Amino acid sequence: MIQNLISMNSYGIFVWLSFSITILTCVLFYYKTYVTLKKYEKNFANELNKLSASEKRLILKKSKIATQVLASYNKSI
Amino acid sequence: MYNLINPTRIFHWIEKLINFINSIFFILLIVALTFALVLSPPDYLQGDSVRIMYVHVPAAWIGLSSYTFIALLSVLNFTFKIKNLNLITKSIAPLGLMFTCLAIITGSLWGQPTWGTWWAWDARITSMLILTIFYILFILAHKLISQENKANKISSIILIFGLINIPIIKYSVDWWNTLHQPASIKIAGTSTIHSSMLLPLILMLLVLLLYSALIFLMKYKTEIIRIKKKNLKRI
Repeated sequence: MIQNLISMNSYGIFVWLSFSITILTCVLFYYKTYVTLKKYEKNFANELNKLSASEKRLILKKSKIATQVLASYNKSI
Repeated sequence: MYNLINPTRIFHWIEKLINFINSIFFILLIVALTFALVLSPPDYLQGDSVRIMYVHVPAAWIGLSSYTFIALLSVLNFTFKIKNLNLITKSIAPLGLMFTCLAIITGSLWGQPTWGTWWAWDARITSMLILTIFYILFILAHKLISQENKANKISSIILIFGLINIPIIKYSVDWWNTLHQPASIKIAGTSTIHSSMLLPLILMLLVLLLYSALIFLMKYKTEIIRIKKKNLKRI
């Protein structure tokens, strides 16, 4: 049965290659997207940390997104 | 309408949605792969090579529908001038390009055992290749043009111009003699595909749609952070 599943009546190479390429591409694309997102979160947090305490407090108070990005970044480190 | 696509409002839900998709994704993937590779029957003519359909067809559908969607968003953007629509189109385009390329590659792998060739200048395949070019032009416009407003305008024009290609892809199998068979699955009308093959196809489509949603949310979040970082001083 395993032999049949692998060879698929000689079509195995085409079928397995199609599925492997699709899955591998999806995994690599996910990884690249994830790394980019984390890089932007880190840059954003660094920029925020460069500001003075009062400026930082004001931004976090005004922008919900800034608060969430900082929370998400702190969670990931 | 603006309120519905307000980044602050959406941003709040992105993390929750990403976690939800992650929680169900792997179970659904294993079920879909089991149906596609093991439980579904081989075709009476094409044998086991028909299993390539379970990645080829959903990839082509997603590539095609992503383009239609972002092109229509560009039309809306021209009409209503909503900046957030640009962020959405920019987040979807790389996904669409990836799936269009996957459709072409898996189609080539399916073509060799069924038609005896890796590539043919068939109407459907050629129009899919043209779709890839439009995706690449759109992405390049954003990468190469530094002025954001100009880049948005030019990329929108590219998208709208490429809309002409969509009905050509869809109806190429009816208008010309091509190697591709006419559509087996019809929204209006009777589908000619057996339910034992339709089920894995729908499951694989669902898996790839969930994956697309996950990537879109992550890319959209990245775009929002990029904009916010640029405007940090103004906040």
